This record gives sequence, C-alpha cells and structure tokens, in this order.
Amino acid sequence: MNTVLRTDKLTKRFGELVAVDGIDLEVREGEVFGFLGPNGAGKTTTLRLLCALIGPTSGSAEVAGFRLGRDDPKIRASVGILTEQPGLYERQSAWENLIFYATLYGLTSSEASSQAERYLRLMGLWERRTEPVATFSRGMKQKMAIARAALHEPRILFLDEPTTGLDPDAAKTVREFIVQLRGQGRTVFLCTHNLDEADRLCDRIAFFRRNVIRIADPDELRAELYGRATEIRLLPSPRPEDLALVRAVPGVREARFENGSIIVASADPLRTNPQLIRALIEGGAQIAFVTERKPHLEDVYLKIVEPLE
Amino acid sequence: MSAIVAASPARPTLVRAVCVREWREALGNKLLVGMTLLPPVVILATGVLAVGAAAINPPSERDVQALYAAAPAAAGLDPKEAVQGFIATYFLILFMLIPTVVPLTMAIYSVIGEKSARTLEPLLATPVGVGDLLFAKSLASTVPSVLVTWLAYAIYLTSVIALGSHAAQNAVTAPRWILAIVVMVPLLTLLSVNLGILISTRVNDVRVAQQIGGLVVVPVVALGIAQVTGRVVLDNGAFLQMSAFLIVVDVAVFWLAKVAFQRENILVRWR
Repeated sequence: MNTVLRTDKLTKRFGELVAVDGIDLEVREGEVFGFLGPNGAGKTTTLRLLCALIGPTSGSAEVAGFRLGRDDPKIRASVGILTEQPGLYERQSAWENLIFYATLYGLTSSEASSQAERYLRLMGLWERRTEPVATFSRGMKQKMAIARAALHEPRILFLDEPTTGLDPDAAKTVREFIVQLRGQGRTVFLCTHNLDEADRLCDRIAFFRRNVIRIADPDELRAELYGRATEIRLLPSPRPEDLALVRAVPGVREARFENGSIIVASADPLRTNPQLIRALIEGGAQIAFVTERKPHLEDVYLKIVEPLE
Repeated sequence: MSAIVAASPARPTLVRAVCVREWREALGNKLLVGMTLLPPVVILATGVLAVGAAAINPPSERDVQALYAAAPAAAGLDPKEAVQGFIATYFLILFMLIPTVVPLTMAIYSVIGEKSARTLEPLLATPVGVGDLLFAKSLASTVPSVLVTWLAYAIYLTSVIALGSHAAQNAVTAPRWILAIVVMVPLLTLLSVNLGILISTRVNDVRVAQQIGGLVVVPVVALGIAQVTGRVVLDNGAFLQMSAFLIVVDVAVFWLAKVAFQRENILVRWR
C-alpha cells in the first residue's frame, strides 16, 4: 500500500506548552487509521496540523503527496475534516450548506449539485434537503457535517469523534459510511474515544499522548500484550479431568477455569484448537461453545496509555 | 475513485458564494434587517419632513438672523430658501452616518455570528485563502450598505426637487456632496466594515462590539456639528482631502484586519 500521510518529528508549541511533540506517523492509502488518546493529548492540534489549518513549530509532513507549509491550499483541497462541532449554517437549508461548501472547494455548478445530491441521499437526508439545518436533530447535523467533509471526494478524511452524541441508528449509518469509504480506497483518519468503534473499524491504531506511543493492528497488539486465548464452555460444567486433558495438548501455554468455562492460552490457536476439541470429545466432554477470547481494546488502551498518566 | 478535483475557487466565484450566503443569512435575521434599515429610513423620513416643513412655514426673524450668523454665505438669499438649503445640507451630513452605522452591524454579525456558531473552522479548512475570504466578507457587508445609502440619497434628492426649493436643490446637488455620496460613502463603509471585523476578532458579544464600533460615528458627527455651527467650512477642497485621508485609513485598517484574520489566530487565539 502507498503511504498517503507521513510526518517527521512534527512538533507544535504554543508558547511554553508543547501540544504535539515530534510525532512520526505513516498512514497507508485505503486504511482506516485510529488515533486514540486521552483528553488534552493533542489530538485536535494534530488534526489541525495535518489539515494545514495551523503551522508546525518544527518538523515536517507530507499529506496526500503535498508538503505541509509549502502546498497548504493543495493539502486542504485533498483532505476533508469533520470538526468536533458540526458548524453548519443553521438558517440555511441542507442543500444550500452543501452547495456553498462545494463552491468553496472549487467544484463546478453541475458537480456541486450532483455531489450534494449523492451525499444527501447517502446520509438519508435527501427528503429534508430544503429545510433549514436548525430544524435537524444532533444526529442529522452530524451526518450533514460528514457529508460536507466528503463532498469534494478527498483522498484523506479526518473524522474527529464522528459518532459522539449520535443515537445507535445514526451511529450505524456513520460507521457504514466509513466502511464504504475504505471500500472505495479512501483513507480515513479516525479520532475517537469510542474504543469499541475503533476496534471494529480501524486497520491500525495509534496510541497518542503528545507523541505517538505505539502504532499497531489492534489484534496483533492484543496477541502481543495478552497472548491469544480460547474460551471453551462445556456441558453441564467443566470437570478437573477436562482441564488435565486440555493441559496435555501440545502448544497449550496455560489453561484455567473461569466462570464455568476453560480459558486456554496458546501461541498458535489455529493449530492447537482442533487438537483441543478432539481431545475433549475423546475424553467424553460435551462442548457447548468454542470462542476466541479477545481482551477489550479498553484494556489494551489502559495498559499502554495509563503508565504515562 | 471519483474524478472530482477540488481546488481554490476563482475569486469572483468565491466572492459571489460568500456574498449570497451572508445575504441569505442576514435576511433570515429580522433583528439585523431592522437594524440595517432603521437608520436610513429614520434619517430620510426626518430629512424630507424637515425640508417640507421649512417650505410650508416661513422662518422667524430670529431663526434667519441665527442662520446668517452661522452661514454668512446664505446672507444674500431669500430667508425661506436659505433655511431650506441649510436644513437640506444638515441632513446630508446625517446621511454620512448611514455608511458608518449600517455596515458595522452587518460586519459584526458576519464574524461574531460565525464565531458563536462555530462555522469558522470548516470554512478555514477549505482551500480558500483567508485574504480572499476577508475581502469577500468585507464586500458582503459593504455592497448592501452602500446601495442602501445611495438609494436613500436618491429618494431624498427626488423629494427635495419635488418640494421645489432652489436653495435645497443646489445644496443637495453641490459637487462636494455628490463627491461625498459617490466616493466617501463607499470609503466610510469599508472603514466601518473592517473596523467591525477587527473588533469582532477580540469580542464575542454583538452588543459590546457595537458599542466599541459605535465610536466610528464620533468624527463624522463632530465634523457635522463643526460645519453647522460655522466653525469649519467644508468646501470642495476639504472633501477631496477627507477622501484622500479615508483612502489611507481604509488601507491601514484593512491591513490590520488581515493581520488579525489569520487561520492560526482564528482557530487558536480567538475566543
């Protein structure tokens, strides 16, 4: 995959305060890249830097093939940003809002109309296009703001907390939209506090606190920090001899009882699990479920970020 | 991937888009429409009524003596004509208040409105240059204010002609006042707009901004009083000098507004 965003010791200071401290990032084309960090970690400042809204104090960055500081208008034309607040013109209709922004992104009149229609339909707002945005719910405004960010088909879409405050239905629409963007080869840079959402959507995640602490695939990170575990639920309940059978299988690192299940840790579950199941069945156990046990991303996040708090 | 290629729009396209959006927004704000139309309507109606009243009622001897003392140039004129000419001129000075008051309100709403609605960040995230954006915003407040002032002047001129006073007609169509309306009104409007933008960068409350910005009327009122009381004589040369001075001040204030209206300032320092 091509690299669509690269930073080299990118730093932003406001007087004595170091908001972003020499970050090195590489984001690949077509991936959903999660950006996680506590409040005040400098996520919004990083987003503003990468969207050429503010200038760095030192370091450099290349965004969508353009150099930060030298090609700022080209960067802004190549990226879309969903800010923390929807920031829509409330007295104007959904249609007027999108046409205005399409014009500011240099789209022709016919392109502006077709793009506005496309995104209003995609977000389920087409029927209400002539109504003032002030009459919209929080979720509808957020969807409008996402439509505005994507209107000019940017190569990278920066989304700052896109589902915060949305009802489950609206949040699902937004998540489906992100998946659709990835399907089109578009890159999404996702700032979120919703760890479940990050886990479901992101190909890779950066843990951030003024500087990037770690970038990894969430599943690889889990495996590295916690090992890979399998949960086996037996009927009516596991017996001590079942645990002994499991422990005897080659490749099993650890096995224990937990809430009526056997939790098995192994280096290579794909190889070990079929042998485990065979051993249990041959030993007379009745298997109800075999599931992969994933530590929640919250645990991973806390393990990485909390020591720095 | 789509064939759409985003880029900075051409300046006329940007100006048109910003103006149309701001005017739509302004028309939806009844308070702003009222505050825009009230000063010209009041000044125009009062001016026409005053000139009309002077045409109907003969002035007293005391009024005439006071007028001759304040305006020696009127000494040879018929007393009724002289009073009408004097009143017509006085209201022309008040017309010069319109381009200081009306655009100030519009410019303040234009910036503080965007600040409070948090619409500036998405706007600044577009490829548009902030200088172009500031220029477009300035024009969006300047054009309607100038048009309103010119329209009010046209109605005033027509009314004065209809009332049939030669002195009043001569006063209203004097070259210095034509210069004032055609040249100084746009210059005063631009000054007021850019002062409004400058003030709005530091203030979040429309009323506070208006109170500070209201100080821009003080020099105009002072000049008016000085002329009415005969302390200064505003001849053609004085108007030309004032126009040149306004051009210099306009350039300086626009430059200051441009310095304040920077992406990073707006996003990080404006509160």
